[in-house]
Amino acid sequence: MSTRWYPIYQKGGPQLRVFLPNFWMKLVKPTQDQPPNIVQFACSMEMTKHDVKNYLEKIYNIKCVDVRTRIHMPKTRRDPGKGYVIKDEDTKYAYVTMPKEESFKFPDLFETETKEKIVEDHDKAMKQAKEGFQDFLKKNKDRANMPGWFTI
Amino acid sequence: MSLFRIKTSIPPRLFHCRCFATALPNDEEYTATPHYPPILDMSFEKKLERKKVAKHEEIKAVKTVEEKQIKLNMPRFYGFKSYMLNEDYCPYNNLGLAQHVTRTHLIVNNELPEYYKNIDVSGVALNLKSEIEEAIAVEIDGYKRENDFTNDDLTKVEMENLTSSLIVKQLNRIIKNEMSTSHPHMKNAQIDYEPRIESTWLAGGMDAPERVKSVRRGRPWTKHMEDDPVDRLMVFVGSPCMTVRSELPLPPIVSRDEAENAELEVPFFRLDPRAVGNKTEFRHIANTPGFWPGDPHKFGLLSYHNRGYLHNRKHYQDPQDDKEAVHRQAIIASFGWLQAQANFLGFNTYNDITYPLVTQTVITDGKVWSFYAYQLNTIVFHTMYVNENPKRNICWGTEELNLYDRVENGKLEGFNDQVLELLLKFYCNVPESRLGINLTPYLNHEEKVIADYADDDKRQWLEREYKFLVSNRPRFKLDYEVYSWEKIYKIDNKTRHMDKKLRPFELLQDPFKRTLDDRQPIYIPRKFRPHLPRHKGKYAKEYFP
Repeated sequence: MSTRWYPIYQKGGPQLRVFLPNFWMKLVKPTQDQPPNIVQFACSMEMTKHDVKNYLEKIYNIKCVDVRTRIHMPKTRRDPGKGYVIKDEDTKYAYVTMPKEESFKFPDLFETETKEKIVEDHDKAMKQAKEGFQDFLKKNKDRANMPGWFTI
Repeated sequence: MSLFRIKTSIPPRLFHCRCFATALPNDEEYTATPHYPPILDMSFEKKLERKKVAKHEEIKAVKTVEEKQIKLNMPRFYGFKSYMLNEDYCPYNNLGLAQHVTRTHLIVNNELPEYYKNIDVSGVALNLKSEIEEAIAVEIDGYKRENDFTNDDLTKVEMENLTSSLIVKQLNRIIKNEMSTSHPHMKNAQIDYEPRIESTWLAGGMDAPERVKSVRRGRPWTKHMEDDPVDRLMVFVGSPCMTVRSELPLPPIVSRDEAENAELEVPFFRLDPRAVGNKTEFRHIANTPGFWPGDPHKFGLLSYHNRGYLHNRKHYQDPQDDKEAVHRQAIIASFGWLQAQANFLGFNTYNDITYPLVTQTVITDGKVWSFYAYQLNTIVFHTMYVNENPKRNICWGTEELNLYDRVENGKLEGFNDQVLELLLKFYCNVPESRLGINLTPYLNHEEKVIADYADDDKRQWLEREYKFLVSNRPRFKLDYEVYSWEKIYKIDNKTRHMDKKLRPFELLQDPFKRTLDDRQPIYIPRKFRPHLPRHKGKYAKEYFP
């Protein structure tokens, strides 16, 4: 259950257009390899296993067979100015098992730079430079032997 | 006392004088053809592999069953990290993992292998049918009357397990009574109710955890091995409602060649077992097949298992997966029991069995019955052998079969004779002696178990040590742990420079690498010591293998 309540409507009260419960789920790339039918989410700390299941089933119509959760504690570190030990917020991770026949692969969001891509970029830049030089020559073909700074 | 007293150190010095010595040509030093030492691969992996093989040979050479088990446990004082395969807890989609870690090919059809077709039981079935029908009806109705099933403190699982084990006991009694005259092997069979069965083995081929990978990445000489698979110590823990044992093993169902048939596929499970919901624990290596070493009835014939835990899987809402869970239970229960028996015959997870072992498994709630026959061909498939070992274990199973449809007015309706016949076939499968095979090749001839040792002190010491390890009871002294405040203020952030460095992590020690014999032997008070100098005889003798 969310800690925020949908306010009970009182006669004459304003109609609530937007309601934001404090439940959210973020699909993350699993750190350890998972079977194709298991998906990892980071979710709000207040969510229980039942909340995760309901969230996915009621909003996105995704069948959940099983939900396992864990709370991850991030590393502690020194405060840069004061020097005392500080820690970021904990994160709750939910591992959602879908039926066997379902599968999900986390998309490759940022294309990694392959060798071909680098060569391609280089060729493109070279071609542009060559074209630019040809343009320059074309522009100045009537002004042979004139210095570059001399313009009308 | 002699007249002349020569200092004792003088004569040896005289005789060792080189001036009296003559050089003796040593002909044995030279041979006609030169003998060179073998050329060994000196790469890091190969050196490590040779070290491991030497360890496995060391375990093989240990004399008795119990000492072998202690020897397996020697590397770790606090036990090993173990991946649990509980009989009564099956996470979703677990069959693939169970097959991989037991290297089992599963064949499901309603007729068990060819072998069982030659066993005729129609006569026995006819004799027993009415008696069995009555017994089941009485057990179901009678138990309900006797014990209040509406009682709140009994869960559904407990209720089902109770009735099924009662029915199993009755059926076994009836069948054994009938058959003990015609089948002598049943007369001599040993029966156990709810034995504790634990079995531990190494399974290889699964991906390394991130922690191991990062360690490998950090060392230049292991960097190239980063993605190599690592072994997992798998532990089966189960308690069948009844087992039947005999002095002789069951005959093998298929031949040795068939066991190496590459067409018998075994699914390869690459991931960490925790990815599908299996848990880990720190445990000592324990192999207990429900009896102690030295029991003459050391071969399993038949085991009955409950299936009440399926009620706990209702929330998965997948009946197909429940069926797979039963197959999984049969595979791990059969393999686990046979593996533990193999350990009592002197084999272990490093030294493979030299002949196949067979068992029969029944999973039932009294009404629904599943039958499985299992042939164990290999128990060695840790990472070194996971690809090289061509052998695989085979499990034949049936679907879930109903023994009867319903109970009406204290009578069973729609009794299925076929199911009864399948059960009787298991009882009529006669164990045989294996001619020309040494059943315990890796055990000593005279001293197979520690009870054979004549030395009282040694026997008692080994007995106490062995029983403590297999009990898996926690130690009296609490295990070592790093406290949270130490992790935060001493390890992750070095904020306490002035503290005295006394804890293991400050002294570059790893308490979890502590070996089993790294401890003080038992202290003997002075009054129990023989007359010796003060510093001698303080500690009792230890007999670590």
